[in-house]
Amino acid sequence: MAWLGDLSETRYWMYLLLVPSLVLILAVVLYPTIYGMQLSFREMRLNRPALGTGFVGLKHYLRLYADPVFWTALWNTAVWATAAIVLEFLLGLVAALALNRNLPGTKILGVLILLPYFLPNVVAGHMWSLLLDPRLGVINDILVRIGILETYKAWFADPATAMAAAILVEAWHGFPFFALLLLAGLKGIPSDLYKAADIDGAGWGAQLRLITLPMLKTVIAAAVILRVIGLVNSPDLLLILTNGGPGRATQVLSLYAFQAAYKDFNFGYAAALSVVMFVLLMLFASAYIRVARVNKD
Amino acid sequence: MATIARSTRLWDIVTYAVLGLLAAFCLGPIAWTFLTSIKVDDDIVTKDMVYIPSRITFDHYVKIWTQSDYPTLVLNSVAVTAMTVAICLVAGTIAAYSFARFNYPGRSQLMLGYLVVRMFPAVLMIIPLFIVMRSIDLLDTKIGLALAYTSFLLPLFVWMMKGFFEAAPKELESAARIDGSTRLGAMVRIVVPIARNGLVATGVFVAIAAWNEFLFALMLTTSQGARTWPVGLQLMVGEFQLPWGMLAAGGMISIVPVVVVFAVVQRVMVAGITAGAVKG
Repeated sequence: MAWLGDLSETRYWMYLLLVPSLVLILAVVLYPTIYGMQLSFREMRLNRPALGTGFVGLKHYLRLYADPVFWTALWNTAVWATAAIVLEFLLGLVAALALNRNLPGTKILGVLILLPYFLPNVVAGHMWSLLLDPRLGVINDILVRIGILETYKAWFADPATAMAAAILVEAWHGFPFFALLLLAGLKGIPSDLYKAADIDGAGWGAQLRLITLPMLKTVIAAAVILRVIGLVNSPDLLLILTNGGPGRATQVLSLYAFQAAYKDFNFGYAAALSVVMFVLLMLFASAYIRVARVNKD
Repeated sequence: MATIARSTRLWDIVTYAVLGLLAAFCLGPIAWTFLTSIKVDDDIVTKDMVYIPSRITFDHYVKIWTQSDYPTLVLNSVAVTAMTVAICLVAGTIAAYSFARFNYPGRSQLMLGYLVVRMFPAVLMIIPLFIVMRSIDLLDTKIGLALAYTSFLLPLFVWMMKGFFEAAPKELESAARIDGSTRLGAMVRIVVPIARNGLVATGVFVAIAAWNEFLFALMLTTSQGARTWPVGLQLMVGEFQLPWGMLAAGGMISIVPVVVVFAVVQRVMVAGITAGAVKG
C-alpha cells in the first residue's frame, strides 16, 4: 500500500481519484447514450432480425413527425409535468412554511411527511390503484358517503379523470421533495428581514411575495429542474397505474419510448423518441436556468 | 398586544391543522395498505367497505413468502443493492473527496459533467445497455443490474458526498499532513471517519433508490436469477386472482426496511439531499 501513499503525493492524485468513477460513467452513461443516439439513425428490431441494422437516415424522425401518438404523448408529457410540478410545489411550500414555524410536536410530523418520497414507485402505484379502485376503492366509498359522488367512479378508466388521478398519485409521491428543499431554503432566510417587514407594516401576503419567494429563488429553481427531469424521464408510475390508457389519455413520451422498445422491440424508433425527449429536456433546462439567473441579478 | 397574541394562536391552529392534514394524506395510503394486508379476502372484496377488519390474518404474508418466489426476489434485491452501494462507496467517495478538497484545471467542468449525466433519459440508456450487456453476458445478472444503477446513482452519490466533505473541517487533515501523513493516509484515517455520518446517509439514500428501482430491472432482468422484487411484485398482478391482499403484504414487506433505515438516518440524509440539490 506504500506505493499508493507515494502516488497520492504526485500532482496527478486528484485526477487519479476521479478515474474509477469516470470510467464507470463513461461505460454506463456516456457510451450507452451516444450508442443510443446513433441507434436512432439505424434500423434495429429485435423481433425482425431480417431487417438488419443498417443506417436508415432520418427515417425514424420522419415517422415520429407524422406519428399522431408522438404529438399526443408530447402534449401529455407537458400536462403531466406542469400540473404535477405546480401541485407538488404548492403542497411543498405549504408544508415547509408550516414546519418552519417550529411549533412543539411538529418535528415528527415533518419526518412523516417526507416518507412517501422514499417509497418505491411500484408500491405507491399499487397502493393508489387499490385506493381508487372502481369496486373496492376506499376513496370512492368516502366520497359517496359524504355525498360528493353518486356512485363509485372508475378514475383510471375514464379519459377525463385518468390523468388527474395519476397526477394526484405523483403529487403524493413527489411533494415531500419540494417540502424538504423549500424548508432548507426557509431556514436560510435571516429573520431580521421579517422583523423589518413587520415594523413597516407589511402583511403576511406581502412578506411571502416580497421576502420569502425571492429569497427561495435558487432553491425553487434547483427543485423544479430536478423534478422536471425526473417527471419527464421516468415512465414508472404511469406504467403501473394506467399503462398510457385509457386509449392514449395518459400516454407520455417516456412511456411511449419504453413501449416501443419493450413491447414492439423497435429499438431504433424508441431511441429516436428518447433523443427527442432528451433534446427537449436540455432546451428546457438551459432556458430555465437562464431565466432563473437573469431574475437573480 | 392582545390581537397579536390572538392572531398568533390562530396561526398556530392553522399550522397544526395543515400539518395534520398533510401527514394524513401522506400516511393514509400506507395505513390502508397495511390494513388490507391483514384483512381476509372477504373483507377486501366486498360490497360494503370494511374499515375495521372482522378478523386479522397474516395469511397474505405467509402466502406471498411461501407460494411465490418473493424470497428469491428479495434476496436478489439485497444483493443488487449491496453491490450498487459498494461501487458507489468506493468510486464515489474518492471522486467526491477530489472535488471537495482540491482545486485544479478542469474541476468545475468535470463537476458539471457529473451533474449533466443525471439528465440523460433512462430509456435512452437502457436500450444500448440491453444490447451491450447481452453481448458480454451481463444481461440478467445482478452485477449487470448494479452497474446499470450506478449510471444514475454514482453521480448523485458524488454530489451529495461532496457537500459532506466540504462541511468537514480541514484543520485535522492539515495537522496529519504536517505530521508526515501522506494525502492518502490523511484521507483514509482522518477525513473519511469525520465524514462517516455523511457516508452512512448518502449510502442509505443510494441503497433505498437501488432497492426501489423498477424500470432498469424490468428491462435488464428476465429470469429468477437476477429479477428484483419490484418487477416480481408487478408481475404478480397478472399471475394471481384477486391479488390485493398479497400485493399489500408484499408492499409492506418491501417498505419496512426503507422505513426503518429512513427513520434512523433521515436527519443527516435530508441535509445531504439538500446540499446535493441546491449547490448543484
